Amino acid sequence: MITTGPPRVQGPADPLIELIDVSKTYKMGTMEVHALSDVDLAIHDGEYVAIVGQSGSGKSTLMHILGCLDVPTTGTYRLGGTDVSRMGEAELAEVRNRRIGFVFQQFHLLPRLSAWRNVELPLLYAGMRNRAERKKRADEALEAVGLANRTAHRPTELSGGQQQRVAIARALVTDPAIVLADEPTGNLASDQADEIMTIFESLHTQGRTVVIITHEPDIARRARRLIRLLDGRIVASEMAPVQ
Amino acid sequence: MNWTETARSALDSLIERRTRSALTMLGILIGIAAVILTVGLGEGAQSRVSSAISALGTNMLIVTPGSVTTGAVRGGLGSSSTLTLADAQALGSKLNCPDIAEVAPVTQKSLVLTAGSANWTAPVAGTTPSYLAVRNRQVVAGQPFTQADVTTQAHTAIVGSEVAQNLFGSASPVGRTIDVSGVPFSIAGELNTAGSSASANQDNIVLIPITTAEDMFGQTGPYAQSVSTILLSASSPATMGAAYDEAQDLLLQLHQIRNPLQADFTITPQTSLLATASSITKTLTVLLAGIAAIALLVGGIGVMNIMLVSVTERVREIGLRKALGATPGVILRQFLIEATILGVAGGILGVGVGVLGALVLPHLVSQPISISVPAIVGSVLVAAIIGLAFGVYPASRAARLSPIDALRSE
Repeated sequence: MITTGPPRVQGPADPLIELIDVSKTYKMGTMEVHALSDVDLAIHDGEYVAIVGQSGSGKSTLMHILGCLDVPTTGTYRLGGTDVSRMGEAELAEVRNRRIGFVFQQFHLLPRLSAWRNVELPLLYAGMRNRAERKKRADEALEAVGLANRTAHRPTELSGGQQQRVAIARALVTDPAIVLADEPTGNLASDQADEIMTIFESLHTQGRTVVIITHEPDIARRARRLIRLLDGRIVASEMAPVQ
Repeated sequence: MNWTETARSALDSLIERRTRSALTMLGILIGIAAVILTVGLGEGAQSRVSSAISALGTNMLIVTPGSVTTGAVRGGLGSSSTLTLADAQALGSKLNCPDIAEVAPVTQKSLVLTAGSANWTAPVAGTTPSYLAVRNRQVVAGQPFTQADVTTQAHTAIVGSEVAQNLFGSASPVGRTIDVSGVPFSIAGELNTAGSSASANQDNIVLIPITTAEDMFGQTGPYAQSVSTILLSASSPATMGAAYDEAQDLLLQLHQIRNPLQADFTITPQTSLLATASSITKTLTVLLAGIAAIALLVGGIGVMNIMLVSVTERVREIGLRKALGATPGVILRQFLIEATILGVAGGILGVGVGVLGALVLPHLVSQPISISVPAIVGSVLVAAIIGLAFGVYPASRAARLSPIDALRSE
């Protein structure tokens, strides 16, 4: 069997996320701001990772690059073996749609749409034409986060914790490779935050790759791996002790 | 995301902002209604003018003495008396002019008419019985005068309805007697009502035999047999050109003029009057439609304005949709559809208001308004294009938004 040369096929040992020498520079007037400098990072399929750091440490920039919302200035980003660091806007949109599920601090639900209509949005952009099929998939995703009886409610009729659970259902509905959560508990009371973290943990035990960006040590401690950022560089990457 | 879903999403967002959407449509509505009404008004005026002019006599050519091309030496148009009864007789010969159907020489003067204690001033035209055929007029009561009346210089007259009205009131004038400058005439008939054209009131006229008129108007010397106008009718609209050429050649020959540019007469086809009149109304229509088009343009700018506001307001929604996998193309499409819906809906409502106006307004302003189907179809199309065109800039702004900036904005 000939194994040399591209196309590259991903083996079990290859990381799902692979950042090689990634830097991101913003221009602020004449000043150049180095948001990320020479970051190397590998995250394997099924990992549960927390990225922590002070504000201004570059963790938001890292999250944008990991989520294909932005591309690095220099360096390479491979997602599932595909180089996405030089892709155009339309291609990146497709990668986000197929491979990444986002959970945001502010939930970002569309207020005039019911829960299931919010959850079906990624399926619409994926080109799924059959409405009944979309509804079925959305209902299943909502059931998975414990909102089977809230599918027709609008976001304003739901509590903060319930809204975030709708957002998680939306992130899961396309069955993505990674769930990327940016301060998912930042706007929640502690009991609701706990509910949400329990959901992330169960996603992890089901084998899904979960990356959480947070500045809260309590949240970060619950992940299996901790990546600490300072001034745009990774200063620590440690595995949590087995519980 | 397919077209149906995108259109539904666009419609949802317009309905959510229904007051604003309605006000934006109002701008397009007013523009489209204005276009339909002004075009309809223009077409109505045009058809009224052309029917008034063709009522004066179809296929008609008017020969007047004098020439506009040599105005520096001779007097202006109509100021000399170079046309004679002999000219008219020659033009009437089928041998000379096979394409001329009827010839009516006219010599005309404004005179005082008296009947009993009533008096009235009107143009008195000496002519031949052919006048009625050439000018497309009928005698509705009594009889027209005949060729025999012309030969015998009879004192017989035909009166227009306005003359009859002013001298005899509602009583029939037929068989009564009027004094024309003190000379008694018996009234043989009354003309049909033709209304007034741009140039003259066709109902304020008295027709008498031309020989009688020559005698009465007291012309002597070289102008004794002169006439003020010769009216010709071509045998059909198709032979207008041929009739024109035959009349021109014959008159040049009779007047012994070699160079047509030095002709001492002018032939004006009725159609050229029609063309002049319709070009005036056309200019007016274009002017009014232009003003209406500006209203439409302002409506279009309204669409752009509201779409820009909408993009700014929905920055976070756009960012989220992009994060979830909407490509720039899909976002562009959604905003273009929104703008086009505003344009088309405004356009259709504008057509409704315009057609309603075209049906109601004529009763209020006594001005005919045509409902023009091309204008209706055109306006809806134009409204759609305006929505689309003025939507392009806001939509491309939305499509270019970076998902990060969009999600971050508060």
